[in-house]
Amino acid sequence: MADNSSTHALFDLWKKQLEEGTQAWARLVGQWGQAGQGQIPDPLQFWRPFMDQGIAAWTKLLTQGPATPELLGQWKQFLDQWIAAWGKVLEQAMGTEAFAQALGKYLDQWLSLQGPAKKVAEESTEATLQALGVPSRSQVVGIARQLVDLEDRIEGLEDRLGALLARMDDLFKSLEDHEAAAARRAAERVAQ
Amino acid sequence: MPDRFTMLTEEPAADAPVIAQWQEELDRNLGRMKNFAEQVLNPKEPLVGQTPKQEIYRKNKSRLYRYESSRRYRTPLLFVPNLGISRPYIFDLLPGGSFVEHMTRQGFDFYLLDWGVFGPEDNQLTLEDCVTRILPRMAKKALEASGAGELSVLGYCMGAPLSACFIAVYPEIRVRNFVNMAGPIDFSKSGQFRVWLDRKYFDADKFVDTLGQIPADLVKAGFKLLKPTMDVTTGLNLWWNLWNDAYVEGFRALNKWANDYVAFPGEFFRQWVKEFYQENRMIRGELRLAGKAVRLEAIRCPVFVVGAKEDYIAPPDCVKALIHAVGSQDKEYVELPGGHISLIAGRGAAIHCWPKVSAWLAPRSE
Repeated sequence: MADNSSTHALFDLWKKQLEEGTQAWARLVGQWGQAGQGQIPDPLQFWRPFMDQGIAAWTKLLTQGPATPELLGQWKQFLDQWIAAWGKVLEQAMGTEAFAQALGKYLDQWLSLQGPAKKVAEESTEATLQALGVPSRSQVVGIARQLVDLEDRIEGLEDRLGALLARMDDLFKSLEDHEAAAARRAAERVAQ
Repeated sequence: MPDRFTMLTEEPAADAPVIAQWQEELDRNLGRMKNFAEQVLNPKEPLVGQTPKQEIYRKNKSRLYRYESSRRYRTPLLFVPNLGISRPYIFDLLPGGSFVEHMTRQGFDFYLLDWGVFGPEDNQLTLEDCVTRILPRMAKKALEASGAGELSVLGYCMGAPLSACFIAVYPEIRVRNFVNMAGPIDFSKSGQFRVWLDRKYFDADKFVDTLGQIPADLVKAGFKLLKPTMDVTTGLNLWWNLWNDAYVEGFRALNKWANDYVAFPGEFFRQWVKEFYQENRMIRGELRLAGKAVRLEAIRCPVFVVGAKEDYIAPPDCVKALIHAVGSQDKEYVELPGGHISLIAGRGAAIHCWPKVSAWLAPRSE
């Protein structure tokens, strides 16, 4: 029956294959770049031995003993490790300056297309709504902005009112202290 | 299969455990089918954010909520999450799996700042507004509601640098403790986002000028790109655990949150990307907000920094930098297992993170 060590062995085999496959891919892409667009490489070229060996290993594992649900657990564990390995590969590839540059270029092109399209869509919607006598999006946004400004002003007033009330409290307190001191002095004079 | 059949008939005792295992697996598969059918035919909206709360204050889209507790500790706690990106109910996801519930059970007077969901009318909202107008007001309101003279601030993710700026710039609001949970501080160490948002490749001005608001779908795409295998892993784990009702309930709640992205107000995004990711001004002492210089060394209260080992949004080194930047004497850094989200939400967080945070705050909140 298959145990954890066999799963690890299997995973190591796949990992090795993955690394070799990635290297083969890189070589393939490199050759393609050198040879020009005429020779289109077969990307499945390096995947075939990878898949064949994997299937062969699993077949061997399955024939070792009676099939139990444990095998499913091992399969899940294997898939997890496989995805994690792929995740690492992708993470490394996407953490490079080359990827950032490609992403930036793609986003820049997307924005260049998006900008005019957005403008046209907004203008036509605005015109349609205006023709129908319905408030347009920009008018609603404008009202919402005014409300936000109003709220800010009310808050400003609230703050100033709060500060004034605090000062008045201080004044009342010092007035009370003065009155108490005056009353004390008067009482002392009467006593003398 | 005749060999297997012979084995079963001749040696039933030897195969009994195998049969029991298959029986269990069959039961699980039936459970999987039942839950799958329910998920497809009768999908229920998960109930999230169930801890009782009270709205204390509202400013435009932002809300300040107070969560009831026994108030064992005098110092209230203001929780500042990220603005945009996602909703804050992740901190109160499900009963028994909620950071808010944990903190209130411990007796902290808990205040949550919900920045809200912004629309195009908020595109002029800047990071400066958030730090110099919204945060101070919310802190004052929390103090008023609690009747205390000082408060603790807990910043999570983007909420941590925003809180750090606020504490550094507003010494008149007395902050007794500051906790940074997975909050990026030194953006030169902020992983893949730093590379992608480098000014050589990413034109923040063009983005904001073209789109106005940064749409939720674009934010979602950015975060999905950070971990492209995440959806596959999630799907696989769901299938594997689909028989488990408790898992499915947790998954539904988490999945709702994980797909509930929030847009960024345009000007906020511009300032966030340029001044933090591209120029790293805060840690360099070059950031100015409302005419005031943000000096992290001006933070002198006790500081607790929590980093997550597998955090790819705010890697540990990027978070830890706060320890070296503040002027506090009482400061501590811990690195816990988990990622950016699992640090604060989920079963692991309940074991590793929440007790650490409450234990650190407790003696400092008397």
